[in-house]
Amino acid sequence: MSGESISTFQFLGLTFNTTNLISGLAAALIVFGVVFAFSRNLKLKPTGKQNALEWVVDFTNGILRDSVDEKEEKNFGLYAFTLFLFIFISNQIGLFLQIAWNDVTYLRSPTADPIVTLTLSLITMMLAHYSGVAKFGFKQYFERTYLSPFKIWLPIGVFTEFIDFLTLGLRIYGVIFAGEMLLKMIGGIAFSGGVVNMIVAIPLALIWQGFSVFLGSIQAFVFVTLTSVYISHKVEDE
Amino acid sequence: MFTHIILGAAQGSTLYIGDMLFYAILFIVLMALIAKFAWGPVNAMLKERADRISDDIDSAEKSRKEADELAKQRKEALDNSHEEATSIINNAKDSGAKERELIIGNAQTEAKSLKDKAKQDIEQERADALKSAQDDIASLSIEIASKVIKKELDENSQKQLIDSYIEGLGDSK
Repeated sequence: MSGESISTFQFLGLTFNTTNLISGLAAALIVFGVVFAFSRNLKLKPTGKQNALEWVVDFTNGILRDSVDEKEEKNFGLYAFTLFLFIFISNQIGLFLQIAWNDVTYLRSPTADPIVTLTLSLITMMLAHYSGVAKFGFKQYFERTYLSPFKIWLPIGVFTEFIDFLTLGLRIYGVIFAGEMLLKMIGGIAFSGGVVNMIVAIPLALIWQGFSVFLGSIQAFVFVTLTSVYISHKVEDE
Repeated sequence: MFTHIILGAAQGSTLYIGDMLFYAILFIVLMALIAKFAWGPVNAMLKERADRISDDIDSAEKSRKEADELAKQRKEALDNSHEEATSIINNAKDSGAKERELIIGNAQTEAKSLKDKAKQDIEQERADALKSAQDDIASLSIEIASKVIKKELDENSQKQLIDSYIEGLGDSK
């Protein structure tokens, strides 16, 4: 990893990472393509693709249902659905497809970069806080979030919110980044020696890829679950 | 890569603010597209299905009630028809009995009147017969008497008369 260079460019005074742009766009396109294809020819009696799509909808709604009430579930259903699919696809994309050119990786899991996971985490936190303000008004929101249970709790409250934001993003980054790094190392072993190395590395890579698929799915689930928990902290009357 | 954040925060050049913006916009656009092409239709379909199921349950309940109502009505109608049939039969019996009484009464009076008339006729007949017999006897008596009176005048003639009588008797014998 150490010798790898990063392709960046400047636009409107902002720095962009080409890899993240390509990977994120690819993940979004896959998500939209799948969802779009699965939602054609919707019938009252669901079959095949429609069943799968409805299962995912029910799954993400189920995650929300565990922590927020029915009205809020309707408000955040779309967000949880999109978030879950986007993170899920982002986690898996780098496991089977990595494109590198001139020592620069152009396509990998977007979630293997902390800036991406922290952006998603930031979106979630902003949505949660916005919902809290929208529901209770700023004064009550502030009291509930930072001055509870005691007024002196304020620094801890602020710190908690910041830590929630940071851990939500870094947890998934750590898992996916480590998974990809290990996969690259196994790949390196495979091509570093002779046939023996190859024979040893292939089952290892298979096992690790399978495990990473599992981890990626779990992380997508955890991310959406924590999202719904953070939202419920802000919008639920306790 | 996390070092980039730390360093980026320090240097202010390598933190990919552009990426954050890009991902935020990408995510919102993705959400909007999914909302338009999948989330809306799928949820509409789910709602329609839920409505349909609840409607089906309601209508099943309703039709069951209707069937119950109908069965009850039929039972009532059946009971009523039993009563009605009984009353019709009773009426028929009553009117039959009345009719019979009437017919028998009429027949009896008619027979009585016929009998009376026949008696009367017989009585009349007898009276008439008696009367004519009386008339016949009277005229025969008168005739005999006149014949007797006529022959009393002389002996001869009396003898003659007796003879004639005797002859007459012999003739008549």
